[in-house]
Amino acid sequence: MTRILTILVMVAGLVIGVHAQQAEVGTMAPDFKLTDSKGQEHSLSDFKGKYVILEWVNFGCPFVRKHYDSGNMQKLQQKYTDKGAIWLSICSSAPGKQGHYPQAELGSVLKKERLASTAYLIDEEGTVGKMYDAKTTPHMYVINPDGVLIYAGAIDDKRSTNTEDVKNARNYVVEAMKASMDGKEVEKKSTQAYGCSVKYK
Amino acid sequence: MGVAPLKAQFLGGNATTEAELVSDVASIQPGAKFWVAIRMKMQDGWHTYWRNPGDSGLRTSVEWILPEGFKASDIHWPVPERIDTPPLITFGYHDEVLLLTEISAPADLKAGQEVVFSANVEWLECKEVCLPGEAEVSLNLSVVQETPETNDRWVQEFADARSSLPLTVTDWELSAGKENNRLYIFAQPPSYFDRELEEISFYPYQGLAIDLSAEQKLKKTGSSYLLELVPSPNADALPDSLEGILVTEDGWRGPGSEKAMEVRVPVQEDVAFAETGEAGGGNIWLNILFSFIGGMILNLMPCVLPVLSIKIMGFVQQANDTHTKPWKHGLVFMFGVLISFWILAGVLLVLQAGGEQLGWGFQLQSPAFLIILSAFMFLFGLSMFGVFEIGTSLTTIGGKTQSGGGWMGSFIGGVTATVVATPCTAPFMGSALGFALSQPAWVSMTIFTFLGLGMAFPYILLSSVPSLLKFVPKPGRWMESMKQFMGFLLLATVLWLLWVLSIQAGAMMVIIVLGALLLLGLAGWIYGRWGNLAMPAKTRAVASTLAALITIGTVAIALSSVDTYAMNPGSADAAYTGEGIEWESFTPDYLEQLKQEGKTVFLDFTAAWCLSCQVNERVAFSSEEVQNKFEELDIVALKADWTSRNETITKALASYGRNSVPLYVFYPGGNNQQPVILPEIITPGIVLDALETENN
Repeated sequence: MTRILTILVMVAGLVIGVHAQQAEVGTMAPDFKLTDSKGQEHSLSDFKGKYVILEWVNFGCPFVRKHYDSGNMQKLQQKYTDKGAIWLSICSSAPGKQGHYPQAELGSVLKKERLASTAYLIDEEGTVGKMYDAKTTPHMYVINPDGVLIYAGAIDDKRSTNTEDVKNARNYVVEAMKASMDGKEVEKKSTQAYGCSVKYK
Repeated sequence: MGVAPLKAQFLGGNATTEAELVSDVASIQPGAKFWVAIRMKMQDGWHTYWRNPGDSGLRTSVEWILPEGFKASDIHWPVPERIDTPPLITFGYHDEVLLLTEISAPADLKAGQEVVFSANVEWLECKEVCLPGEAEVSLNLSVVQETPETNDRWVQEFADARSSLPLTVTDWELSAGKENNRLYIFAQPPSYFDRELEEISFYPYQGLAIDLSAEQKLKKTGSSYLLELVPSPNADALPDSLEGILVTEDGWRGPGSEKAMEVRVPVQEDVAFAETGEAGGGNIWLNILFSFIGGMILNLMPCVLPVLSIKIMGFVQQANDTHTKPWKHGLVFMFGVLISFWILAGVLLVLQAGGEQLGWGFQLQSPAFLIILSAFMFLFGLSMFGVFEIGTSLTTIGGKTQSGGGWMGSFIGGVTATVVATPCTAPFMGSALGFALSQPAWVSMTIFTFLGLGMAFPYILLSSVPSLLKFVPKPGRWMESMKQFMGFLLLATVLWLLWVLSIQAGAMMVIIVLGALLLLGLAGWIYGRWGNLAMPAKTRAVASTLAALITIGTVAIALSSVDTYAMNPGSADAAYTGEGIEWESFTPDYLEQLKQEGKTVFLDFTAAWCLSCQVNERVAFSSEEVQNKFEELDIVALKADWTSRNETITKALASYGRNSVPLYVFYPGGNNQQPVILPEIITPGIVLDALETENN
C-alpha cells in the first residue's frame, strides 16, 4: 500500500513539477541555473528577495540593435541595477546561429556593447528560453522580490527597428517596475513581444 | 577596430530585397482610379512580412509621396504564406509579392503632362537572420484625356495578385463566439457551394488575438464549418472581435478559386455551436442504411437482375447436385461482391487523393467518360438482347475451373455481379456515391461495404433459406423476356448519356459516338455468333480476339476525336447553349444598336488569364435561377473577351472608368439608359439582385 502511495506521490510531484516549468504571468517564475560569460553559475533562486529582470538578447538582431545602438537598453540596465535589482541578459542562440559567440570572444563583445547588466547568461540548449516561452529578441520578463512573474512581453510599444522610435515609445518594463515598486498593480501584465525569432537549436 | 566593421559582422550585410513601384496602366485619366503596386522581389529563401507579421518580424510599411490632389488607398495585401519555424509562426512572402494600392486622380488634372509617384518603403527581410531594408521607389505616368493605355508587362501579374486578395463578398455567413477559453469561427456556405473543404486556417489581422502555434481544429456541422481557435496566452482578455482572413487551399468559390476570404466579426457571448461528432455522425448511420438498401435495390437494376436470377438457379442446382450447403456459396459470393466493391472504392479513393476530381457527378462532365460509359451500356444492352452472353459465360467458366464445389464459380459470380452493376449505379446512384467519395476514406469504405452487403444480401438470404426459393419465380420464358426488356432500359440510359454528351461536346461528337456504337454492335455480333461456348476453341479464340480488337479500337478512335470534334463549351466566341445563357460577341456598335432598341443588355468583360473572371462565371452564370432570369427578362448577353487586351475593349472598359477585368455592366433597357455596374466578385445572389431591382 505504502509503495503505491509513494509512487502516486512521486507521479503527482512529477506532474506538478513539470507543470511548474512553464512561466505564466501571475505565478511563480520557474527556477533555472545557467552559466554566465565569466564562467560563473547563477540560479534564479539566488536572487530571491530582489527584483529580477530577464532580457532575451541577440546582438545581431535589428530590433535588439535599435535598443543597444541608441543606448536605451544599457541605460535601463544601469538604472535598475543601481536600484538594487538584478538584470540578467540571456542568450538562447544555439551554437552556430546568430547571437551566439564563442566563449573566448564574449568578453570583448560585451565590452563593445557596454553591457550594464548583472550577468550575461548562456542558454545554448534553449531550455530556459523554452521554459519562459521566449519567442523573440528582445523579450522581457519582470519578477518581483517574492518570485512572482509580474510582466512578460515586449520592451515597449513601438514595433520597429528604428532607433528614433525609442524615445517616444511607452516602455512596459519601466511601467511594470515603477508600479510594482510603488506597491501598485501592474497595468500591462503581458504584451506581444516583438523582435527577431530566438535562434533555438 | 571601428564600429562599422563590427556592425557589418553582426548584421550580416545589407538588405537584398528589391523594391519597385509598378502599374498595369501606362497612362491615367483625370478623375479616374487606377492601380499601382510596390513590387518586392526577395532573394532565394528570404521573406518579407504580411500586415500582421506574426510572432516575430516587421510588416512592410509604405509612405506615399503623391502629387497634389492624388489619394492612395491602404495596401491591399495578397494572401501570405504561413511560415512555420517552431515555436514561432509568422506570415509573409517569399520570392515576390505585389502590394497593391489604388490611387485616385483629381478631376482637375491637366492632360498632356507626366506625373511622378513616389513612396518610401521600409521592410524587414529574414532568412535565418533579419535585415532591415528601405528604399525610395517612384513611377512616372502620363496624363491623357483619352483611353488610358495598359502596361502589358504587368497586366497578368496584377490580375494574379488581385485574385490572391482576400474576398470580401462571398455569401458565406460568418460569425464568432467564445466558450471555455476557446474562440470559435462559424462559417456557413452559400447555396451554390457544393464542395467540401478539407482544411481552413485563420490568419488574424490583430496581434495577440490567438495563439498562432496552437492547432486550429476544424469540425463540420451539417454543411457548415466550425473552427476552434486557442486565444493568445499573452492577452489580458479574450478579444471582442476577430478580424483577419480565412484561408483554404480548396478555394472559397469552388475548386481553383480564390483562397482567402476576409472575416470581420464580433465575438459573441454565448453561441450554441452544435457539438456534433466527427464527420456529421448522425448522417453516417442514415447513409449506411441507404447504402444497404441501395445495394439490395442494385439487384433489380437491369444490369444485375438477369445475373441474380441465373445465379440463384445455379445455387439451387449446386445444392441439389452436391452436398455443399448453398449458404456457404452465398457467403463466398458475398466475398466476391465485397472485394470487388473494395477494390473499386480503393481505386477511386487513391485517384481522388491523387488530385483527380472524382465523384460520379463530375465524371459525367467529361466527354471521355461519357463515351466509355455509353459503350459499356450499349454492349450490356446487346447482351440482354441475346446478341452475345457475358455474365453467364463468366460464371460458367468459373464453375469449370474448380472441381471443389464451384467455390471459384461463386466468387467470380460475386465479382461479375459487381462489375456488371457498376455502370448501372452511375445514373441511378450518382448522388449517394458522390457523397460517399466526398467523405473521409473510412466513411467511403464503410458505405461501399454496406452497398456490397446489400447487394449480396438477397443471395445470402435465398441460399440460406432455400425454402424462400419457392417465392422466386421458376425459370421460364419470362426470364428471357425480362432480360430483353432490360436491354431496352440500358439503351434508354445510352440515350440519356448521349444527350449529356451533346451538351458537353456538340452534335458532331454524338454522331461519332453513334458510329462507334454501330461498330461495337458488329463486334458484339461477331463475339456472339462465333465466340460463344458452342463453337470450337479455335473459332472462339479468333472471334473473341477480333471482337475485342474492334471494341478497343473503336472506343480509342472515339476518345481521340474528342479533341478535334468536341465543341469547347468554354470558348468565348461561339454562341453555345452549354451554360443556358447565349453569349454574343461584344462590339461597341452592337451595344449601341441594342441600346437604341431599348433592349435589356448584360455585359461581361472577361479574360482567359483572369482567375476571378473564370470563377465568377462558373459560380454565377451556371446557376439555374440566373439563367431563367436572363430568359425571363429577355436579356441580350454580350461577352467582351479582353484576353488579348485589344483596343476596342480597352476603350469600352475606360468608358466605365475601369482599366481591368472583371467588369459586369447591366443595361435595364427601355427608357432607362443608365448602366448598373456590378461588383467585381459576383454570386448568383448579386446578379439576381441587380437584375431584379433595376427592372422594377
